[in-house]
Order: sequence, then C-alpha cells, then structure tokens
Amino acid sequence: MGDNIGASASSADDGGFKEQEQLLPIANVGRIMKLILPPNAKISKEAKETMQECVSEFISFITSEASEKCKKERRKTVNGDDICWAMGTLGFDEYAGPLKRYLHKYRELEGDRPNNQQEKGAGSNSNTEDQKEEPSSYGTDHHHQPNNQSMSFRPSDF
Amino acid sequence: MRQAGAYSGLVSASMSGRMGPHSLPLARIKKIMKKSGDDVKMISGEAPIVFSKACELFIQELTKRSWMVTMQGKRRTLHKEDVASAVIATDIFDFLVNLVSDESSNDNLAETPSEEMETFRS
Repeated sequence: MGDNIGASASSADDGGFKEQEQLLPIANVGRIMKLILPPNAKISKEAKETMQECVSEFISFITSEASEKCKKERRKTVNGDDICWAMGTLGFDEYAGPLKRYLHKYRELEGDRPNNQQEKGAGSNSNTEDQKEEPSSYGTDHHHQPNNQSMSFRPSDF
Repeated sequence: MRQAGAYSGLVSASMSGRMGPHSLPLARIKKIMKKSGDDVKMISGEAPIVFSKACELFIQELTKRSWMVTMQGKRRTLHKEDVASAVIATDIFDFLVNLVSDESSNDNLAETPSEEMETFRS
C-alpha cells in the first residue's frame, strides 16, 4: 500500500510492521496540545509525533470495537452511537457523555443532511434549495470549551 | 455520501459555522478509521465528526498527564518520554503501551507486533 497521504515518515519506520500509517496533521495535533498547556510550555517535535501516532491508534482501537459490534448486529454502517458506545466500553466513559451531547446537537442541526455547505462561499454552493441559514446561535460550541469542568480529567492514578 | 464535496466542504469551511470549526480533518479521520480493519465497511457521516471531538479530548487528556510528568522533572519542554510515562501510568491508555515502547526501543526489529497492532493493519 503506497499510501502516504499525510503519513509522517520518521517514526513509522521500524522494520515495516506499521506500514505508512495515516496520521492527523502535526500542526493540528500540536495546536490542541499547546492550547491545553500553560503559555510558557514547550513541546518537542518528537512529542507531537508521538501524539500523532497515539491518536491514530486511538481511532483504530475505538473503531475496531465499534465495527465488531456492528458486525455482530449485522449492520453495515458504523455510526456515531457505535463510536460513543465503544468509548464507554473501552474505558473512555468520561468522553462518552460529552460526545453523545455533541452528537445529538449535530443531529439536531444537520437533520439528515450532514453537509450543509453554505457559507463561506467556498465556491461550493450547493444545489440545495433550502439553505437554512440558521444564525449560529450556538456561539458556544463544545469545540471551544477549553479544558472544562464538565470533563475534568482528574489524574486518578497518578 | 449525499453530495460531492461534502467532506471537503466540511474541512475547508468548517461546517456552516454551527458546530464550529473542527480542529481535525474529517477526511483523514475517515481514512484512519477505514484502515483499522477489514470489517469496517461503511462509516456514517457523523462518525468522523464524533471522532474529531473525541480525539481532541484524547489529546487534551494525554497532554495534560504528560505535562505532569514534565513538571515533576522540573522541565518546561514536553518530551516524548513524558508521553510514554503518562501512557504507562494510565490504565485506559494500555492500548498504547506497545506503541510508546516501540518508539523507545527501535532496535527491536525482530520484535513481534502485539495483537493490537495486527488488528489495526488493514
């Protein structure tokens, strides 16, 4: 599989066990890390690379579990609820709650069409006749909640 | 996929501003999901979106825990060893143990990959 879209070469080369693994962009990962740390903190490049790999592994880990469940239930499509369920099963129950809320909000907004690309005129103005231009009254999207109280990660076993 | 460019629209234009920009590219998340196993056939549009949030939470948690190790060492730069320590110290990150120790022992080329690794290979 010569699939090297977005894979970061360096640490994936350990004898070929992990093929070129797909990774999330280091800039995005680094930014999320930076935002959670104190302002004077520095992050080594290797630490960011390690984090990239950990995130990919996390996605695979959860997805495998979710996909097994779908297989058992003879469903072909892995959906958001399956992902939330898998998180809960694999020990990430602190995430499951906030994620379910996030998912429900998404479903409310998007209804059946998870792809309302209206704004930003990024050229793609769709053929959707009803571009619901709902005012984004949700100024507070969960995305921007820094480190919040609702999901406090108390380092329990430290 | 209902419309062409659904994901590219989401990626570039951050989902109509309602859910706010996603910090992580959805198409890439979807690729990683697909590679996690042969059983993964179809993925609903919302799954990568849930993951974009979940990955954010994950990165935040692992980073915070790693930083605590950094601070214990009275340092200000977070190194990959700190991440490794945080992984080892946290039960729910057990699935990462081989990943972080593989990195620190690159000379073990003959090492058999763990089961978890094998499952994730497509």
